[in-house]
Amino acid sequence: MSTRRVGIIGTGFMAGVHADAWTAVGHTPAAILGRTADSAARLAAEFGAAPFTDLDAFMHAVDIVDICTPTHLHAQFALAAASASKPTLCEKPLSLSVEEGRRVVDAFESAGIPLQVGHILRFTAEYVVARNQVAAGAIGHPAVVRLSRLSFAPRREGGSWFEDEKKSGGIPFDLMIHDLDYARWVAGDVASVYAKSALNSLGHVVAVLKHTSGTISHIESSWSLPAPEFKTSFEIAGAAGILSFASEDTTTFKVRLHEEPSAANTGLGDTELAANPFEAEMRSFLNVLDGTADPVLTGGDAVAAVQLAAAVITSARTGKPVDLTPIREVR
Amino acid sequence: MERIAILGVAHLHVDAYVANLRASSAEVIGVYDWDAERGSAWAAAHAVPHYADPQVLLAEGIDGVIICSETAHHRELVELAASARVAVLCEKPLGVGFEDSRAIVQACSEAGVRLMTAFPIRFDRSVTRIRDMIRSGDMGDVHAFTGTNQSVMPMRERSWFADQRLAGGGAMMDHIVHLADVYSWILGAPPHEVYAVNNRIVHNHAVTVETSGLAVLSYPNSVFATIDCSWNRPLNYPSWGGMAFSVVADAGTLETDVFRQQLTQFGGTRDLSWVPFGLDTNQLMIDEFLASIREDREPLVTGLDGLAATGVALAAQESAATGRPVALTADRILAPARPGQTADPLSSELLDI
Repeated sequence: MSTRRVGIIGTGFMAGVHADAWTAVGHTPAAILGRTADSAARLAAEFGAAPFTDLDAFMHAVDIVDICTPTHLHAQFALAAASASKPTLCEKPLSLSVEEGRRVVDAFESAGIPLQVGHILRFTAEYVVARNQVAAGAIGHPAVVRLSRLSFAPRREGGSWFEDEKKSGGIPFDLMIHDLDYARWVAGDVASVYAKSALNSLGHVVAVLKHTSGTISHIESSWSLPAPEFKTSFEIAGAAGILSFASEDTTTFKVRLHEEPSAANTGLGDTELAANPFEAEMRSFLNVLDGTADPVLTGGDAVAAVQLAAAVITSARTGKPVDLTPIREVR
Repeated sequence: MERIAILGVAHLHVDAYVANLRASSAEVIGVYDWDAERGSAWAAAHAVPHYADPQVLLAEGIDGVIICSETAHHRELVELAASARVAVLCEKPLGVGFEDSRAIVQACSEAGVRLMTAFPIRFDRSVTRIRDMIRSGDMGDVHAFTGTNQSVMPMRERSWFADQRLAGGGAMMDHIVHLADVYSWILGAPPHEVYAVNNRIVHNHAVTVETSGLAVLSYPNSVFATIDCSWNRPLNYPSWGGMAFSVVADAGTLETDVFRQQLTQFGGTRDLSWVPFGLDTNQLMIDEFLASIREDREPLVTGLDGLAATGVALAAQESAATGRPVALTADRILAPARPGQTADPLSSELLDI
């Protein structure tokens, strides 16, 4: 086991989730970089980490950078980590544009250091098992991939970056990008994207993908459910068989208490009882750094996911399908 | 007691319909099929008199016919029934092309004969409740529908479903129409554009038509609706398939899994099977057809509804072939007829085209 010092940039909800996961895999965060001394100190205190507000000082204090900032800041912190030659785990999405994403990936490639983007489904048990089954030929060539991620609208304090689509990218970049990346992982490069987005609603987007392999995908991502409902489901129908999953049908533990529901603010699902995907993500990255495992996804995969999310937005706006030149072959 | 004739036994639903007719105390006068061998075998199996000549059968004082031939034969049989002034219940899709489908509606309209399209899902209680909740305004604005109508590919003795010439296509022609009709019925308006993709990955070597498809329908007020029409259930699937859809609206979401009421059977006659115990919507549809004859009124589902839904399926095929969204213009699709309305104001426009 390495003794690398993990530093987290960001002090919000995901920073806490990541800090817990790093702790669980034996790498309790050593440093937290926050926008204010207060926010950095608050999270740092929970983990006995050193709080920072100065980027350079933070970089000197860590061996691994974990970026959990608001989405629109991912790329700039990633570029800073690349210049400091720090292996980096970055929450998804890598960036809000393909150009920006490419710049980040190029920076890491020329520095020769690993970058892993937090496409968590690649570490989430049900999605991993399904992809392995497909890769093993269990159901034949996929014909139709259906992916559904239905949540309540995340509640954040007024003025939060999350409310601003320019900063969060809205549903395509925040929620759907999980399934866009997964569809590509299962069925390969995407040739075209057609999408619809509900207007004047809490948020509901559907995308139809044509993969170069001939597979077609239907992806549904929604913030339209009442809180605290959060459910995911998928079906991969192949030439020889079908794999399907529904979070509602596979919950092993249900709680129905006579009390006011807590103010739920995100739909992470019930990860406690399954293999925690965040711990799997951190462990995988550590193994890559140790040279004992290949990366589960590359920077190119992360840019391809950004390309798909951007295409969803373009198609929904124009009403036309968007033809794509695949960024890179799936590894 | 209504006197009903069956024209064509190619469609698998005909077995259920004959039982439904008898359960409703209708008299099944006779059956005709262009394939006399198939027709007489079916007639013997279901204790229905066989007629080698449809004209002779239609001259037996018939009140209504149910048309269950291959889709490509619908038109000639509807035209025969129309000239005999007999009410028609026609299997879906109406025809193999738009021209064909429009001619079916036109023949009945000109003869003053009622034409009903076989859309049994209209009679499902959950679907009706969803429509009522939306129509009452309780759900606020509707934003989107997501639907699936997936099944095992109809093959073996009913292999014509995968024959381009007889069925007009594959999974898209078979399965888009039901949900397209339901969405339009709920919204009270037809879609104005369709985008679709398809492939033939499942049963690639067995057939030449598409076996999987996804369609996105654009409705007024930016409402969109998707349909997965795939024949991608494996041959050992525990049932024929199913139909489900969900609705996103201001007040929340609604979901129905129409055929969910089924027992799970392990072992015995099959390794695993789902045994239905839910509502028989075919029975309710046949009841409505008989009631519309008895009461001399338009059936709840009309020929124009069938034409509109068939137009969506045909446009989806075109979109899948070109990769572009296809606009549904007046010569392709028409507003569904309102229940209780005897003459659709659009029908004259249709027939002038």
